[in-house]
Amino acid sequence: MEKSLISHMMDEERAVMEAERCLFCYDAPCEKKCPAHLPISRFLFMVRSKDFVGATKLVRDAHAFINTAGYVCPEEMLCQTACTRSQIDSPVNIREVHRFLTDNFDVERYLSLPAMDKEEIAIIGGGPSGLSCAFELRKMGYKPVVFEESELGGIPVQEIFEERLPYGVIRKDTDFIVKNFVYEIKREKTTEIKPLLNKYKAVFIAIGLTKETELKIKGMELKGVYKARDLLRKIKRKENLPDLGERIGIIGGGNVALEIANTLKTLFPDREILIIYRRGLSDMKAFPEEIERAGRIGVNFYFQSIPEEIVGEGKVEGIKVSQTKLVKRDESGRRKPERIERSEFVIPLTSLITAIGQKIEEVFPEIEKERGVIKVNENLMTNIPGVFAGGDVINGGDTITRAVGDGKTAAKKIDEYLRRKKDV
Amino acid sequence: MFKRKDLSIDFLGIHLEHPFILSASPPTDELEMAINGLEAGWAGVILKTTSVEGTEVDLKYPMMSSFGTTSKRIVGLGNIDLISKYHIDEVEKRVKILKERFPEKLVGASIMGAKKEDWQTLVYRLKKAGVDLIECSFSCPQGSMGESPGRMLAQSVSATEKVTRWVKEAAGDTPVLIKITPQVTDIVEVAEAVKRGGADGITASNTIPSILGIDIYSFEPYPTVFGKSSYSGLSGNAIKPITLRTIAEIKKNVDIVVSGNGGAYSWRDAVEIMLVGASNVQFCTLPMHYGFRVIESLLSGLSHYLEEMNFSSPMDIVGKSLPRIIPNEELPEIEVKAHIDEDKCVGCELCYVSCRDGGHMAIELREDTRVPRINEDKCVGCAMCMQVCPVNAIHMVEKMDSKEHRFVRK
Repeated sequence: MEKSLISHMMDEERAVMEAERCLFCYDAPCEKKCPAHLPISRFLFMVRSKDFVGATKLVRDAHAFINTAGYVCPEEMLCQTACTRSQIDSPVNIREVHRFLTDNFDVERYLSLPAMDKEEIAIIGGGPSGLSCAFELRKMGYKPVVFEESELGGIPVQEIFEERLPYGVIRKDTDFIVKNFVYEIKREKTTEIKPLLNKYKAVFIAIGLTKETELKIKGMELKGVYKARDLLRKIKRKENLPDLGERIGIIGGGNVALEIANTLKTLFPDREILIIYRRGLSDMKAFPEEIERAGRIGVNFYFQSIPEEIVGEGKVEGIKVSQTKLVKRDESGRRKPERIERSEFVIPLTSLITAIGQKIEEVFPEIEKERGVIKVNENLMTNIPGVFAGGDVINGGDTITRAVGDGKTAAKKIDEYLRRKKDV
Repeated sequence: MFKRKDLSIDFLGIHLEHPFILSASPPTDELEMAINGLEAGWAGVILKTTSVEGTEVDLKYPMMSSFGTTSKRIVGLGNIDLISKYHIDEVEKRVKILKERFPEKLVGASIMGAKKEDWQTLVYRLKKAGVDLIECSFSCPQGSMGESPGRMLAQSVSATEKVTRWVKEAAGDTPVLIKITPQVTDIVEVAEAVKRGGADGITASNTIPSILGIDIYSFEPYPTVFGKSSYSGLSGNAIKPITLRTIAEIKKNVDIVVSGNGGAYSWRDAVEIMLVGASNVQFCTLPMHYGFRVIESLLSGLSHYLEEMNFSSPMDIVGKSLPRIIPNEELPEIEVKAHIDEDKCVGCELCYVSCRDGGHMAIELREDTRVPRINEDKCVGCAMCMQVCPVNAIHMVEKMDSKEHRFVRK
């Protein structure tokens, strides 16, 4: 078993060597695949000549959660997919070089921000998307007011396993933003948007998805059935876990399912961790790196198995599943599972964890929603003028870097919106 | 299991099993190392430059430094080494031992002296020990002994001729090579002086005076010897282009045998050095970097090259490129255009940006693909794009005699 859930740490020599592999493409394709538009080719070129401070300034400026992203950004499905170097041998390990920078160089002392002489903007939610928006707005001279009742940092601070993303890393990002880029933090729950528009010129909603989708099968009331994100939060807070027993089943094939599976297998290497998923390996939405890690540390998989009912007397004793066949592809390009009749079998379990999706909390009735997320136009504006939204709450759950990218775009669009209003 | 190609050559009347020998340098400064080198398969050794007893040799450490990139550590190697700390009494013993043990291999020795008597004593004693060849270092970047210390002997045409004559006078039938420096105004004048002096050949050339780098945080030059340094002799692959030019110029102007030295890091480099006129090739930095074992790939590569080119002996390639080196004004004016191989192109667009900012703005981007397009009206055929392409997807097409000639980087 691997010692750490954090991928290879680079030293100076290795970072330079890796940066030398970058071809320094013109109009670099990797940068277009980065939702936060990290200037990858430019920072790697600076690393080549060991201008680590210059390179760190570039990445620090581009991404509000740059320290966090260095640990958990799934480069294998973002920048690396477009790396020209992969046509020669293998893609440049961009994230590892960027983590070398953010782990070792602090550029806060070079900060030089304009006066905060523009309007106050309300930001609902202190996760990656909200704080990214604050970060960008502050750079333009606005006064970002962040509404957040719990600890700033969102999912990374609440749910991502400590051994994959150390708490101190996220705090480096949030502390940096709070100290330098936030005008005010309001420790209160926001239930209505309209009243905010009286005080603030624009609002950005970035509350994420806080509710977990319920599995609707028989036996959900049994003792030993849990929701993945509840458990992840407990683990992150170092609270006592319920007794999950020796055979723990996890239903789902997304990142939350993989996160809980890998976390539990790391905490309890001797217990059986089984992922039960109705489609096949190649249909899983989770990050390839995490799927690969699961295989390596000994998580087991039941593919093409669809839950029918949880069995047990008073407490979970197993799950009855049917086998599926995978038929034509749906709109996401993945194959659709279809139940095979009379193929049921029971997988014996001591506990069951569901991780089948998440949805928006029922708030802000005046904001139009669609398919469980807030509906926005190409400017990330909702149905109410001046109210913008971004992050998981519009995309249904995606990467931290995508959330940061949305925050960046929203800040730009808010600025454009306010300038337009002034012109009129 | 496989047939081995005969790579033997005749070098100044000496039979060599192949053209590759170890130069007068650290790899030949210990008897045991010279033995190991010969056993590993090198055709000969030139023992590191020796001097008469009593000559002071104050070596300073560290003496090595290099420049390169992080992934390619040694592009050029520099040293502030001097001649061997072993004097002629030790070296003459070694020559005897080596000659006894390796009668089929070339055992040469390099010498440096201050006055006529020293030079000639060294020659007599080496001859008596049975040496096959004597090389005279006229070009140690740390300077020569004698009349103008700090200056290289080969930088003076008259001194070169005079000392060559002394040495050859004493050497008689034993072949003499004069090791020169490329650091002169006119290399031809020096080569002519060597010839007039009566030497049998020239070793072209030696390391080149240089500073390998400076520590930008402490201002100390490399290699730092307690905060200070001196000029280094530069060797390694970085100096190959200078070696090629030096040998070519000598061979085009003076009828004299050349032993090639400086910059060969593979059999391909060695072949290039022979193509401009070297009869054999000396190595130092490559075995210092990777060990004597590299001889295996040098011999293998040379054999297959000769097979592929239908040459029966390595001697057949000596000087093959010389007629093709001509003055710039005699080069024909032809029409050349760059051509991009779309199947090979990986779409980095480096050729585009290089031509845009450093060529003739003749490469254009396309909407639908990252494979750029050559604008033939603007392309002058400078070939800069070809140099920057990481995957060799660009070649030049020359239109001459109504035929198409391809110029491809290999």
